[in-house]
This record gives sequence, structure tokens and C-alpha cells, in this order.
Amino acid sequence: MFVSKSMTRKVISIDKEAGIFEAQEKMAANHVRHLPVVDKNNHLIGIVTDRDIRSALPYSLFREPSSQRDKEKISDLRVKDIMTENPATISLTYTIQDALLLIQKLRVGALPVVDEEGTLKGIISVRDLLRAFINVLGIGEPGTLLGILVEEKVGQLKKIVDAITEENISFGSVLVARYWDEDKRAVFPYLLTQNVAHVKRKLEKMGYHLLDPMEWYLDQLPKNE
Amino acid sequence: MRRTGFLFDERYLLHETGSYHPEVPERLNAIYAGISQAGLLEKLTLIKARRAELKWIETVHDRNYINRFNQACTSGQKVFDHPDNQMCGHTYETALLAVGGILDAVDKVMNGTLDNIFCAVRPPGHHAETSAAMGFCYFNNVAIAARYLQNRWNIKKVGIIDFDVHHGNGTQHIFEQDPSVFYYSIHQHPSFAYPGTGREFEYGKGAGQGYTKNSPMLPGQGDEEYKAQIKNTLLVDFEKFEPEVILVSAGFDAHVDDDMSDINLSTQWFTWMIKNIMKMADSYCNGRLISVLEGGYSLKRLPELARNHVEVLLGG
Repeated sequence: MFVSKSMTRKVISIDKEAGIFEAQEKMAANHVRHLPVVDKNNHLIGIVTDRDIRSALPYSLFREPSSQRDKEKISDLRVKDIMTENPATISLTYTIQDALLLIQKLRVGALPVVDEEGTLKGIISVRDLLRAFINVLGIGEPGTLLGILVEEKVGQLKKIVDAITEENISFGSVLVARYWDEDKRAVFPYLLTQNVAHVKRKLEKMGYHLLDPMEWYLDQLPKNE
Repeated sequence: MRRTGFLFDERYLLHETGSYHPEVPERLNAIYAGISQAGLLEKLTLIKARRAELKWIETVHDRNYINRFNQACTSGQKVFDHPDNQMCGHTYETALLAVGGILDAVDKVMNGTLDNIFCAVRPPGHHAETSAAMGFCYFNNVAIAARYLQNRWNIKKVGIIDFDVHHGNGTQHIFEQDPSVFYYSIHQHPSFAYPGTGREFEYGKGAGQGYTKNSPMLPGQGDEEYKAQIKNTLLVDFEKFEPEVILVSAGFDAHVDDDMSDINLSTQWFTWMIKNIMKMADSYCNGRLISVLEGGYSLKRLPELARNHVEVLLGG
């Protein structure tokens, strides 16, 4: 799960001397919101985002500059005037998890990926991470999600996986999430089948509690306030 | 009373699915028993299966896929494309008979011999993709019927209503770029149920944009939520679209007693639903309505559900 496998390799980058309208057009044409700024050796020196451009323009001018004079004034602005210099970067050996945590921590939309010399190798965006996680969840393939409540002790997951495997059912993914009872865990196997009624009955017979689907919390636990 | 057909054939029982499989021949026996015990058989026109010509199946499925299915079946394979699709030596033939019976039903409704019909066929169809079997389905019965209506009967606007608890991914994908076929599906939300498609934001592609509509329903929802949803979506959309013929993918697995879903519909909802479909057929289609069985696995509830379904079709 290294970023090198999930990042965009053909990076749309820009020169620091480029005008900001050029940067804006480049973003629009390529449907990106981040342009790494590189020198002639493809070394990363900065990053410019659609938000940087928006902040540099009065709103009325952002859409359509009114007069020629305004337009000229703004077109004097260069990428180097508005870019973030020495932006946060990650290396090719970062994992997807690293990127996920760092993007959340820094509140950025994308991270340039560079090698040891600082040469731009790729960029990983929130969009790339979403794609990776759709793959991890297995939801690109047809299947059925189960929610099982288990006590937190060693060997529970094995029993569940074994019971399902015995029915010749393949897994798209298995997620384990915290539950609001501290000694419980919620297990979410995504099973690549439509035929789940039998395996659900089997798990219940084994003593597992199937969660009410309306009480599945993948993202966060309900707050006790 | 309307001239209502009932497509049923004992050969539809020959497709066997092995142990621990819900899509069993007993489903059709339950349906037949419900209808016959209510004394409805004499009011219905019984239609028998017939073999479909491959040229009509090829309007939806790749020839290569059809051959693959035939070969898998004749070579004695027990599974086709995915462990969900259990089969036996009769499966290919049964699937051909299902399609053929439905096309015959279409002819009889179109030439005025019948007003409407309920097709109690196996295997079901709405998960079947152009070149893949999926979710107990091999040939997409309803999709082939829609193409047949276009090609054989020159119908310009076909409306498909799918109330099976699972989204009809196959039917959606086959018609999502086609503005002449409106596909409406109401089903359990794909994050909680097979096959994981049929989200609100899947509404057709290209020229077909706006001619696919999905109503994903949350676990635990029942009659009230389903009725409100149908009123706000299907009834409005079909009033605009004005289909010339309505095809129904009739799945009865959203019933509260069906363990294939977490949707809690009562028996009465299904009656309400087919009544509303009848009203639309009367308003836009001269009554022309062809209902085709998809899922529905509660052997306890299928008799009453099938009985009520044809009672409404008969005009009761």
C-alpha cells in the first residue's frame, strides 16, 4: 500500500514565472486543483492551488475581469507570487495510511511525492485516496455487507471468517470498527454474494449478534453528551 | 374482468440450485398453489412455456456469453460465473423457456388476446448483465422483453418498474443510455444489500440521462416510506414519460417475512403497488402490462402475494 502505486504519475505542473490566468486555465483544462511548481530540472519548489488563485483575485475579477486595465494588473501576477513555497511533501515509500493521516493533519487536498533529490515523482490527492479506499472496501464488486457484534477477545474474527469460508463465500473486505460498548467490536464482512440468509442464520446460531443495519457506524461513534 | 394471462410451466421447476439456496423450484409451487387454491385459475388464461429464439436473446446478451452458458450447462458444471449461480443440466433450457414464454406473453398482450399477464418464471433475470450471470440470474428476461417490444412491436417508449428488494443492475446497465426505456427501481439501499448498485445518483448516462431512477430504501423501512417514495418518484416520472407498455420486475422479497432483506413491507403494500401500476397502465398504455417474477423467497408468503397480484390484474 505505497503511495507510489496510487498516486498520479503524469503530474500537471507549472513554472514559477507563469501568469496566474495560465495556471487557472491549466487547472480547468486538466480538472485538477493543485499544480506543483517545478524548476527546469523538475525539482519541486512550490505548489499552487485553485484556492490560492481565488484568494489573489477580487471575487468580481475571478470569473471575468471587467476592464482591460484590471486584467493587465492581474496578469502581472505570477505563480511565484501566490504559491506556497517548500510545501509539505511525501516520499515514494510512504504508505496510503501515512498519506491519509498526513492529509487529514495538514488539512490539504493533495501532497506532492518527491524522491530523495526533491524531484517531483507524482502527486496524491484526496481523490486518489478515495479511489484506493473504494478498492479496499470492495464495494466496486457486487456483494452484501453484514454487521456482527463480537466480544473483544482473541479468535473471534477467525471463527467468523471460518464460518463464512465454509459456505464457499468470498470476501470483498472485512472491516473492524470500535463499538460504543468498550469490550465489543463491530465486524463488517463484505461478502461477494447475494445468498446471505443461510450464513446469517448460521452466525446467529453460533451465538453472534447481528447488528441492526441502522446502527452501523463506520465513521464515528455516537457522542455521549 | 380483464383478460389476464398466467404464464406457468412445470418445466420451470427443472432448474435446480442445490443445497442452501433460496431460489428453489418450490417458489413456483407456492405461487401456483396460492392462485389455484383461491379459485383463480379458471379466470386466468394459462400460457405454457416455449423456447425463445436466440436472435431475441442476442438483442441483450453477447453470443459468446450465450454459448458459454450453454456449454457450462451441458458439460455438467454446477456453478456459472459465480458461486451464487448454482445450476443443473436443465438450467440453460429452463432459462430459454422463461424468455420464450415471456415473449409469447408480450405477443398476446400486444395483439390484444390478453390485457395483461403475470409470468411466473424461473430463473429470474434482473441481475443478469450483457455478458455475465449474476445473483441467480442468467438471461435478463425483462430486458429481452423490452428489446422485443421495440424490435418486434415497434414500441417507442417502454416503462420498466422493478420492486424487487435488490437493485436490477443488469436491467439498469442495459438501458442506462437509452432514453426510450425508463427503468425505475425501488430497493433496499445498496450499502446494506446486494448488489451494491442503484444509488440515487445513478440516473442514466448520455442520451439516457433522466431515464433511470433509483429509490434506495433504508433497512427497517416499510409500507409508509415505500408509498411516499413511489408517489414522489415513480408516479411523477411515468406521468412525464408516458410509457406505451409497462414491464414489471415483480420481486416479492421486500416482504417483512422474507429473510433476504431488512425491508418490512406488508402483504397489503404489494397489492397497493400493483394497483398503482395498473392505474398507470390504464392511463398511458391502454392497460398493457406484463409482470415478470424476479425474487421473493418466503414460501409462506408467496401464495398470498401471488394470489393478490393476479387478483388485481384481473381487475379485482
